[in-house]
Amino acid sequence: MLLQTLNGLVYGGLLYILAVGLVLIFGLRRVVNFAHGSLFMVGAYVGYAIATHFGNFWLGLVVSVVVLAVLGVFLDAVVFRPLQREDPIVTVLVTFGILLVLEDAVRTIWGKDFLSLKPPAALAGTVQILGESFPTYRLFVIALAAAVAIGLSLWLRMSRIGLFVRASSVDRTTTAILGVNTDRVSVLVVAAAGVSGRVSAPVLALSPCMGRLILIDSFIVVVVGGLGSFSGAFFAALIIGQLHNFGVVYLPWAATMIPFLLMVGILIWRPSGFAGQHV
Amino acid sequence: MSELLGFRAVEAGYGEARVLHGIDLAVGENERVAILGRNGVGKSTVVNTFLGVARLRAGEVRFRGAPQRSLQHFTAARAGVAVVLQGRHIIPNLTVRENLLLGAAVRRPGAWNLEGVFELFPVLRERADTPGTALSGGQQQMLAIGRALMANPALLVLDEPSEGLAPVIVDELAVVLRRLADGGTGLLLIEQNFGLVRRVAERYYALSKGQIVDQGRLADLSLAKLKEHVAV
Repeated sequence: MLLQTLNGLVYGGLLYILAVGLVLIFGLRRVVNFAHGSLFMVGAYVGYAIATHFGNFWLGLVVSVVVLAVLGVFLDAVVFRPLQREDPIVTVLVTFGILLVLEDAVRTIWGKDFLSLKPPAALAGTVQILGESFPTYRLFVIALAAAVAIGLSLWLRMSRIGLFVRASSVDRTTTAILGVNTDRVSVLVVAAAGVSGRVSAPVLALSPCMGRLILIDSFIVVVVGGLGSFSGAFFAALIIGQLHNFGVVYLPWAATMIPFLLMVGILIWRPSGFAGQHV
Repeated sequence: MSELLGFRAVEAGYGEARVLHGIDLAVGENERVAILGRNGVGKSTVVNTFLGVARLRAGEVRFRGAPQRSLQHFTAARAGVAVVLQGRHIIPNLTVRENLLLGAAVRRPGAWNLEGVFELFPVLRERADTPGTALSGGQQQMLAIGRALMANPALLVLDEPSEGLAPVIVDELAVVLRRLADGGTGLLLIEQNFGLVRRVAERYYALSKGQIVDQGRLADLSLAKLKEHVAV
């Protein structure tokens, strides 16, 4: 039970970080970014390639973070900014197309088989928690996801740029009229959203479709939490993380359905999600 | 008196539609100017043009005498022109205090800061940590003005500030605007409420069908002319 709870925390933390990226990009660019999952996937593969080539896990982590930041900035300039005034269906199709292209690129370079990256030596063992063994690396991911989630929340709440980001995410025009260059804020946010996708890679087995799978749960988090709400996304991610993990163990035949059922139930109860605007 | 905001032969509109036809106007430092006109004559489009919301099709917009080649939304704020938009546009997910701090995104040297705004509008201090949109209409107007002041603007532009406000609140607004003007802030008032205009502005432009049809000193404006330009 404890292990499942901890595993649920790992998954919930990853979902939250990805969902924050989706919320920010939607708020700032009004783009439903299906490519966000592929950033997560590319980050994992780049980290894998660097780590296996140089034999250094941490180097892989740092390089992939930089690559994703650059990729995020590129996507913002070439895709999100030109698309922000287009019909939503156009942006959905284009970003979904990017997802497919990146998946295919990864499949061409690394193949379609599952890959896995060994954690670094310092995090390779297990620790005993209430008599049960738990991989040290997963505890590290929980701590990292918590640190990123707390850091992101503090940044949004306490910093001047965070204030601009929150304001831009609900009223971009007024924020710009007050003097904020919202395009620069967006570049920063899209880069940060790309970086956030990197945190998770070695926890999961690497496969070209890994981005697509977690993206679906991330969208459910965004909708259940309430479109545009960071605090709503946080609670939704924790709940869906636990439901996902307990579902896989105790109700494997229904595991994939559970997050969708939760979403339907929440939307019937509160059409705007836990804390957001109307969907 | 140096010019803060200038239009020369401005043609502007939305998409293919032109709303403004050959507008010339100028607002100088410490001036109190009003743009008068009935609904739909293009008053707000004047504001939207220098904010980069409406499309400038021809002519020239100048800030501090400098022609602007590209009008971004943030250009005016960075040139020292702050705008209180029609409808106030309080950011709903920010508190009163955060809305005010957002106004300081572009901060010029000057006397206005959070404490100064709280002294001008004490109710904002009392409700500093509540969401901005939880305030009443009049309080939201105070918040919108306070937010604009946080940038220490040389020119404060107010688009229909009396809209939806009770007469007693409009009276208070007039007192505040006069105080600001006396403190050296230039004012450009886009307004239909002549009572407010008369108490605040010294010069006017009258707009009809996207063109300036009259201009001059308010003191010289006859009642008959006035009725042509605004709802009295």
